Amino acid sequence: MNVKKKFKGLSDKAVGWLFIGPTVLLLLAINIYPLVYAIKMSFTNFYANKIGREPQFVGLKNYIKVLNKEAIWEKMQVTASFMFWTLLLQAIIGLGLALLLNRKFKGNELLTTLIVLPMMLSPAVVGVFWTYLYNPQVGLFNYVVNFFYDLGSFDMIGSSTLAPWAIVIVDTWMWTPFTMLICLAGLRSVPNYLYEAAEVDRASKWQQFIYITLPSVLPFLLLALLFRGIENFKMFDMVVELTSGGPGSATELASINLKREAFEKWKTGYSSAFAVILFVTIFGFGNVYVKVMNKIKER
Amino acid sequence: MILLFVSLFSFSVNSNAKSITLGWAAWDPANALQELTKEFTAETGIEVNFEFVPWPNFADRMLNELNNKGKTFDLLIGDSQWIGAGAVYGHYVKLNDFFDKEGISMSDFSPATVYAYSTWPKGSENYYALPAMGDALAWAYRKDWFDRPELKSEFKKKHGYDLGVPANWNQLHDMCKFFQGREIDGQKRYGAAINTERGSEGITMGVTAAMYAWGMEYENPNKPYDMEGYFNSPQAVEAVEFYRKLYEDCAPPGHSDAYMVANLDAYKSGQVAFQMNWYAFWPGVSKEDSDGRVSGFFANPKQNVAAATLGGQGISVVKYSDKQDLALEYIKWFARPDVQQKWWDLGGYSCHNDVLNSPSFPTSTVYAQGFLDSMGIVKDFWQEPTFVELMLPMQEAIHDYVVNGKGTAKEALDKIIEEWVEVFEADGKL
Repeated sequence: MNVKKKFKGLSDKAVGWLFIGPTVLLLLAINIYPLVYAIKMSFTNFYANKIGREPQFVGLKNYIKVLNKEAIWEKMQVTASFMFWTLLLQAIIGLGLALLLNRKFKGNELLTTLIVLPMMLSPAVVGVFWTYLYNPQVGLFNYVVNFFYDLGSFDMIGSSTLAPWAIVIVDTWMWTPFTMLICLAGLRSVPNYLYEAAEVDRASKWQQFIYITLPSVLPFLLLALLFRGIENFKMFDMVVELTSGGPGSATELASINLKREAFEKWKTGYSSAFAVILFVTIFGFGNVYVKVMNKIKER
Repeated sequence: MILLFVSLFSFSVNSNAKSITLGWAAWDPANALQELTKEFTAETGIEVNFEFVPWPNFADRMLNELNNKGKTFDLLIGDSQWIGAGAVYGHYVKLNDFFDKEGISMSDFSPATVYAYSTWPKGSENYYALPAMGDALAWAYRKDWFDRPELKSEFKKKHGYDLGVPANWNQLHDMCKFFQGREIDGQKRYGAAINTERGSEGITMGVTAAMYAWGMEYENPNKPYDMEGYFNSPQAVEAVEFYRKLYEDCAPPGHSDAYMVANLDAYKSGQVAFQMNWYAFWPGVSKEDSDGRVSGFFANPKQNVAAATLGGQGISVVKYSDKQDLALEYIKWFARPDVQQKWWDLGGYSCHNDVLNSPSFPTSTVYAQGFLDSMGIVKDFWQEPTFVELMLPMQEAIHDYVVNGKGTAKEALDKIIEEWVEVFEADGKL
């Protein structure tokens, strides 16, 4: 149907704007305006809870303070470590599961549904029930570990060595299905004739995997990791429910620290600067990553 | 149609009935207050709606409401530390004129509670709350285990003194360690459920119980906000080290982020010989003693000095309420000595002298004497308007040292002072 017939007197461009206008307005109101406002606040000593106190311009003081604070770098290290391990594990296990489920066998659909279930749950709920699973006295996790190898009573959440692994395990359990699904989509898009040709050329299964499967699925895997990377950089709810950032600050990710500074200590100016730094970091990394991903695709 | 009209009409009458909303934490005393308030509604016809918020979210929820000038609450039973912010930022109604008009005298209430829950600046005669719920951090123990002859003699043989209410923190540690990992009635038991919670105020409330007993002061009494050498004095450092030792030697497994409810659970499930908790919970604990469990209670043990961590709250009228007159009516009713007596009888902790000084009070419950003892020695955290900003660095640094085992106690206290200086500077106090 001709659009012009329906919207008499309106040009195609105007109709286009009519459709995207509300979205653009919404984005401006809930994304762009807060971002600009946060940038403005980051140059002030504003405290949102100090009623009646006018914010004063402090220049780059907040940025210098954030970047010079040792504790901030510790949180960034915790975040980087969390991201590295979760992405690595989710890439390996996700791809492995996708390869498994790409084969036809009895119960394939049921298994796929079961594997995908964790990512359907709310992260807060996942955090809460894993605290019970990790309970050193009655938790199932300890029981299972001790069933295979007797480690005695160990406290996953209470130990500063184990707690970072506790959050990595839960995130991997919850979000590997996502990586798996994207990889599975990639695997199913590989034309069968490539494998048939490889068979004719007497390529081994390993060679088929290295030269056909992996290059085909890699852009999909990288895309999944990009999404997971962005999500995990701002991970908050699951970790708060699971460890509250503890013990001490062993699992206090940058986002948790940001929330504390902004909405518990009410250092609005300072936390705005911190938020801007985090935004620039993830935006920068994201851009570089997308460029690398595009280069891989072009090959 | 007529029936429909009548029911619609009655609904509209009902919705126009006088009502106020009271906000507090969700815990045992709140249920007692709800019960008590039925009498207020019967007397005045004013409905009181309650909104009880779980402790971990209590401060966040209420302080956000106040900062946003919210009208949800007409009355608020806020933590003692909030009084500074309530007064300075104008969240609470100043009650002096109202008290004068209604003949409510603050001298009728325990001085420690008036100082802690009602006044700002501290110790002045500016009242922003009526003492509502006296409280302090104390200890409950398994008296039935302590009374077992075989355990008593084994303990005496090992330590040279009787197993009983500990006279100081060293004895407390001995006793907790005595029970750690011990099998009683076929079950493995542990020493003590102590505060280790990191998110809100838990570990600070716990560690300060030790720090106060060691004689820690927050600041130079002659030079406000001068904390160096006071808050990180050798005694304070020793107390924090001791608290870590208590955690490492005596806490049950998995007790690394525990506060009120977790301590209660560990105790009620028979895991531990001792629990650290607020007096507010003792009515419930003593009532629920069953299957041979007999609980004993005692005030925070002394070390160098007798001191206890203050809990408790005052009741304030929210400045942004449209029903301040009704809220004040509730306070007037609540201040009455007969209501205060009923409050205590129902499980609330009255701060009224008529109740506390009654000859029958010390023997009215097994924990009443301990409560009286504690209220005479209480100390509180900073009650500054910036108390949240002051609390959080302490939570983090102490948890990092006690639970995470990072650094030394001195480093942790130094770090806290550093952060506090920053907060006071931003607040124009330094």
